[in-house]
Amino acid sequence: MEHFIEVNEVTKTFKVSKRAAGIPGMLANLVAPKVEKKKAVDNISFQIDQGEMVGFIGPNGAGKSTMIKMLSGILCPDAGSIVVEGYIPYKQRKDYVKNIGVVFGQKSQLQWDLPVCDSFELLKAIYAIPDDVYKDNLEQFVELLEMKDFINQPVRQLSLGQRMRADIVAALLHSPQIVFFDEPTIGVDVVGKEIIRNFIKKLNREKNITMLFTTHDMQDIEKTCERLIIIDKGTKMYDGSIQDIRGKYGKARRLDVEFNYDTSVESIPNVAVENLETEGRYKKRFIFQQDIVEMHYLMNHLLSRYSVRDIKVAEPEIDELIRAIYNGEVV
Amino acid sequence: MRLSPYLAFAKKSFLNRSAYRFDHFIGILDTLLKIFIFWEIYQTLYGTRVEVDGITLKMVATSFVLSICLEAIFFVDDNYLPDKIRDGSIANELLRPVSVQGRMLAENLGTALFRLGFHFCPAFVISIFFIGIEMPASLPMLFLFMLSSVLGYGVLWSISFLVQMTSFWLMNIWSLITIKNVFVNVLSGAMIPLWFMPDWMKKIIDFTPFSSIYFAPVQIYLGQLSYDEIACRCVLQLLWIGIIYSLGYSLWIRGQRKLVVQGG
Repeated sequence: MEHFIEVNEVTKTFKVSKRAAGIPGMLANLVAPKVEKKKAVDNISFQIDQGEMVGFIGPNGAGKSTMIKMLSGILCPDAGSIVVEGYIPYKQRKDYVKNIGVVFGQKSQLQWDLPVCDSFELLKAIYAIPDDVYKDNLEQFVELLEMKDFINQPVRQLSLGQRMRADIVAALLHSPQIVFFDEPTIGVDVVGKEIIRNFIKKLNREKNITMLFTTHDMQDIEKTCERLIIIDKGTKMYDGSIQDIRGKYGKARRLDVEFNYDTSVESIPNVAVENLETEGRYKKRFIFQQDIVEMHYLMNHLLSRYSVRDIKVAEPEIDELIRAIYNGEVV
Repeated sequence: MRLSPYLAFAKKSFLNRSAYRFDHFIGILDTLLKIFIFWEIYQTLYGTRVEVDGITLKMVATSFVLSICLEAIFFVDDNYLPDKIRDGSIANELLRPVSVQGRMLAENLGTALFRLGFHFCPAFVISIFFIGIEMPASLPMLFLFMLSSVLGYGVLWSISFLVQMTSFWLMNIWSLITIKNVFVNVLSGAMIPLWFMPDWMKKIIDFTPFSSIYFAPVQIYLGQLSYDEIACRCVLQLLWIGIIYSLGYSLWIRGQRKLVVQGG
């Protein structure tokens, strides 16, 4: 069956110039620039159906933004194919972008010097949004995102949270079928985040808009998405429901161990180790799956080899589990 | 192609211009200053002579007043694309269902229109009043002068478009823009009317697009060209627009494939 969004073995390579620091490095670079190729996205495939809400997570530099930019027709993949709603984004850019909205958390799409509502008016002209649709959408969004107070202020005078909300509205005024969010909650406070999350959720439910968003905040994902794609170093590490992660998360345990002196622990199969130097000088955290590694085995293992002062058992936060997935230690 | 978004871009650019009032008045002053400096220089050069190489002082004055005033209208934002590529906001541009070149042209034309009304007109009237220039050769010639001026702007815009497209590869093209502007200033007849160039140089300039920008309209205004020659010039202008724009467009297509969105 044809999916709404089809991404097939997509690869994107960037050239990164390698330059030593200082004047010698500058001179060397002038004579013979060294360029290294870096795969930002490496052979990624996935499918998304209409109305799905998918979270896209991964550490900094994992290739999330590059993927979003390819999906929105800004960048052209080096290999592989992307088809969205029957369009090939980078080839049919002008027709394709009418149906999508994109929010870049780090780049505002609003006119810096103009009041927010003027930027919206320009978008109305660009997308040729009919008067009634424009009015309805604007009224509804302004209400939901609590923007009445600052709609007439110039963008440069807005706080980050306000600007982000205005940017989200800007991406949705033309009633797009698909919306890509690239870190829509970056730098936004707790209250603002909650407003944005509720808004995104409501829109997905009521208008059946397909959404894909990247974030570093696991709470964003937990509260909004059903499906999660994790990528790291350009490759896909996980693609599945949040439920599955929760299933693992339910069986996962975390063991905080305090040693009597500085101890380097040999690696134990299927157990992720983290240093907790900030909390106590010789503290380490072990994360593992109860059904793969037995608790008493791990405790025996540690107690018999190292000088242990204290042990504490707990369920890990979802963040820690994700981090373990990034590191390839669990899954 | 829907026209309304482009009209909106032009309008925005037109209105933005009026926001910078001080800059605007200084601009008019700059134009007038240039014209009066040239006037002084040519008056001194001519001395008591009535004509040099068959060209009267009044013709020279007409030439530089027209060129300098046209220069004031012929607005091109050379940094439009380079700036957007450097700070990554090219991404936002590509997200809109409009052609980026179309948007560039629309915004430039919005400013050009503003300058036609509020920069060209006052500067031109003041110059005529103080210096006195030739009348257009005839009414048809005046219309052909306007047509040729529009095409001249097309040539100038295409050259800027082509230069801007190289920023996909070079990132920083400040020096390239400067070189382009030197060529335009010297070879287009904006500074020194091309009558006074040595013959060998005139021949070289004839093979470049630059004389199509300012000098062709000026010659038409003065009635120096026959209708056949005017037709020839206009076709040449169109040809240059076609060639240079196509080159720029092919770079645009290639550049998009090479595009790196900087920052974030």
